[in-house]
Amino acid sequence: MNTVVAGITYRALLGRRRIILLLLLPLALIGLAVLLRLFSADDQSTTVLLMKNFAIGTMLPLLGLIAGTGVIAPEIDDGTIIHLMSKPISRPVIAQTKFLVAASLLAVFAAVPTYVAAWILVGNEDGIAPGFALGSLVAGIAYAAVFLLLGVVTRHAVTIGIIYALVWESLVGNLLAGARTWSIQHWGQAIAAQISDSPFFQADVSLSFAIPALIIVTVGAVLWAGQRLRAFSLTGDE
Amino acid sequence: MSEIYDIGYRHYDGPRLGRGHSTRALAVHSLRGVFGLGRPARSKIVPFALVGIMFIPSIVSIAIMALAQQRGIPYSGFAVVMQAVVAIFLAAQAPAVVAPDLRYRVLPLYLSRPVSIAEYVGAKVTAMTVAVFALIAGPLTLAYVGELVVDMPGPPATGEYLGAMLMALVLSLLLSAFGLALASFTPRRGLGVASVITVYLLSSASVPVIYATFAETGNVETAKWAWLANPFWLVDSVQHWLFGTPPHSIEGDYPSGPVSALLLVVLLAVAMLALALRYRKAAAR
Repeated sequence: MNTVVAGITYRALLGRRRIILLLLLPLALIGLAVLLRLFSADDQSTTVLLMKNFAIGTMLPLLGLIAGTGVIAPEIDDGTIIHLMSKPISRPVIAQTKFLVAASLLAVFAAVPTYVAAWILVGNEDGIAPGFALGSLVAGIAYAAVFLLLGVVTRHAVTIGIIYALVWESLVGNLLAGARTWSIQHWGQAIAAQISDSPFFQADVSLSFAIPALIIVTVGAVLWAGQRLRAFSLTGDE
Repeated sequence: MSEIYDIGYRHYDGPRLGRGHSTRALAVHSLRGVFGLGRPARSKIVPFALVGIMFIPSIVSIAIMALAQQRGIPYSGFAVVMQAVVAIFLAAQAPAVVAPDLRYRVLPLYLSRPVSIAEYVGAKVTAMTVAVFALIAGPLTLAYVGELVVDMPGPPATGEYLGAMLMALVLSLLLSAFGLALASFTPRRGLGVASVITVYLLSSASVPVIYATFAETGNVETAKWAWLANPFWLVDSVQHWLFGTPPHSIEGDYPSGPVSALLLVVLLAVAMLALALRYRKAAAR
């Protein structure tokens, strides 16, 4: 953890117009929750649907993508990463710092709004709100790590990430049950289901698989990203 | 032919092809860039993979027609069913059209030649429109040709096919104008991709929730309007009004009348205006 690198990264992600991108989806989620509340459609099944489809299914992967790739990909694109890498800071530490920044942003912009939206709808009934908040926090950390690695490995990180989140996790995951085993958002849902005892919510992946998978993916991706940065070669844009 | 620099070198006295030619050249260059032609193989993977995915339903459709004598996805609903793929294509490739020129600040170089801002933006929008149209129209045409070859019982659905092609063109124009307007606000490709897909997901993920909320509480008339917030359903509602095709929303009907067509025109104008303002500012830097 290097505070200067962390400070620069926060400024790069939150500065100027870029923060709008991070705020748009959480605000929409809370707006939808308020709308559902106003029209008194605030029962548990609606809440679980909104949380599963919008909060964890749409908002979380997208924010993970924006934060995870956003901490490093623009610098690589610009070539300004060379200034960072030529400083006497170990490259794995740079990767870890950037991962922590992305993870903290996801906690603020994904997990907190998820809790607030669920709380607006059903309060703390059956642990739905804390369950989904913790689930999206843990899954968000894993997304941050994976998309950070993707940002280091390829210049098309955002596109590939979108294809993973929309095509694999959403489209294929809806059709084939087997694909859900290899989906970060379903691992997060497994944790949410463990805390919440709502009768409307069942997870597709068992907890005994989800927790080791989340840990392995997160730690593995951060370490690998550090290794990739150690032997990083700046190549020209297409 | 007014050009701002003349530093005393020998003049070009070959044929002058004029503004139209340079605009067309810019459009063709941008269109090639969308599909990664003339760029390394890495840039071709994403667009061509998405084109491949778009063709899968058509091939399945032809197989169903040949084997079971039944129609697969109707032509009028193809774009709505495949909207996620079209949106990913738009998000992934729209920044490739606008971002490099903004990032390397070459816009003043273009504008020092006889290409105006309007022509520059027009060329970019045309290129993106043609690309998105090809993405939707290619599979549609394949399915239609397949239907003619298979020789289904009853007359071929030529009217529906032509209507779907026209609507695909309108949809491509709407998507391209909006996609380029969003992407042009940042010179970074990654952020451009993220902002286009964020706006799309905002409309596609929230619209069914809003519809269900209003419909459950008995406001079905109000609920119908929710569909117009997503470009794909908006164009489908115009198609429903123009050609009387069945609505392809997830559930329920569209608001009747020409309001959706009017909204479409207004949205197109807004996107074009945003592009014009953005490039007026970008050109000044």
